[in-house]
Amino acid sequence: MNDTPVSDIETLLMACQFGDGQFPSGAFGFSWGLEGLVTDGLVGRGDLVPFILGQVDGRWSGFDRVFVAHAHDGAGDEAALCGLDAGVETYSLASAQREGSRRAGAALLGIHARLGTPGAAEFRKLVSAGKTPGHAAVALGLVLAGAGLARGPALALSGYGFVSGLTTAAIRLGIASHIDMQQAISAARPVIAALAQSPVLPIDEVSSFSPLTEIAMMRHGARSMRLFSN
Amino acid sequence: MTVSTEVVGAARVGVGGPVGSGKTALVERLIPLLRGEGIDLAVITNDLVTKEDAERLRRSRLIDPERVLAVEAGACPHTVIREDPTLNIEAAERLDAQFPGLELILIESGGDNLASTFSLDLVDYWMFVIDVAGGDDIPRKRGPGIIQSDLLVINKVDLAPHVGVDLDRMVAEAREVRGGRPVVLTNCRTGDGVDGVVRAIRDAVPLGRQTGKSAGSGSR
Repeated sequence: MNDTPVSDIETLLMACQFGDGQFPSGAFGFSWGLEGLVTDGLVGRGDLVPFILGQVDGRWSGFDRVFVAHAHDGAGDEAALCGLDAGVETYSLASAQREGSRRAGAALLGIHARLGTPGAAEFRKLVSAGKTPGHAAVALGLVLAGAGLARGPALALSGYGFVSGLTTAAIRLGIASHIDMQQAISAARPVIAALAQSPVLPIDEVSSFSPLTEIAMMRHGARSMRLFSN
Repeated sequence: MTVSTEVVGAARVGVGGPVGSGKTALVERLIPLLRGEGIDLAVITNDLVTKEDAERLRRSRLIDPERVLAVEAGACPHTVIREDPTLNIEAAERLDAQFPGLELILIESGGDNLASTFSLDLVDYWMFVIDVAGGDDIPRKRGPGIIQSDLLVINKVDLAPHVGVDLDRMVAEAREVRGGRPVVLTNCRTGDGVDGVVRAIRDAVPLGRQTGKSAGSGSR
């Protein structure tokens, strides 16, 4: 006899659906600085696990995670969401990072609006009207709240998507195998799980320290040969 | 969840095909012909590793450079037009918003192989471009691009005698594997035959701002 409530299984399936690398949100088009680091020889074969753990610690934990959490809490509050969105815009140093985040957010809002996820179409209209940039972290928090996913699973999904996007980019950049990718995700999983349940900082204490990837993204736009948007 | 209905903007026509088959050259030939018919036009390119195709079109002076957008495919030229076309849809919607009178968007895929096809949530109509120098056995290989496209364009027909291709047989086999659906022969270097592509688009695609079911229906 299985004692797992049906609602828990439905939640798990929802997280699988929206966290799936095949979920159509354009994630495959972004490397978030990895392509530049690989091109410059700063990240190569064998570096994937430390690189991923470093990005989780230096970028996702103190920045993306915080904005996703606050957007999840603020879903339905237009002013709060726009304030968070302005924060992402302000604190994202590299233009390729800001532009990538806006495009990823637009893709995410677009698919969720078409799927009828509560809150997605309303926020998308604000973005289309130029009233707010529509960054990915804010979009993700509000759509997952709208879909009915609690904050903990939403943060887990955010962390998984962050790692999954970087590791699949690593494969396409030729520095990792499919086994390397799974090992990196396995290494990051307990870290993400712990952070998904940890207290979230107030938004004015958001932080990020990932200087090499930010520099790589700054340099990305000037490169003539590139596979990814950033 | 429900599927929403909304205004979907300009008609979208996909141009796919292998690397070097002449997709960009075809788009360069199509632009003046379509604009000559008074069609308000924009272009999206999906270059694989560069923005070369987009820059080539921008520099061509055939079209306002702001009407050409490049979408990087992250080394996934299939994915960006089929499994996950959201980045191309987002780019098309940006063009729709930026140019309110826009009637037609050409979406050129990154060069790929015979298996590439377009999502019908992305485009209303799509063509597949091959060239005779790739070999006259390409239609017989029955790739999804050859079989499923609304229009098959066989380009560089002038090269047929120089590369040992029996063009008549190639065309006959193409028509056979496509069940009689349209096949157009072009030489995009000179422009020969490109008017046939324009006619095919005009006959099949209602141009202008459209309203319809935007997703999940298999068509825009």
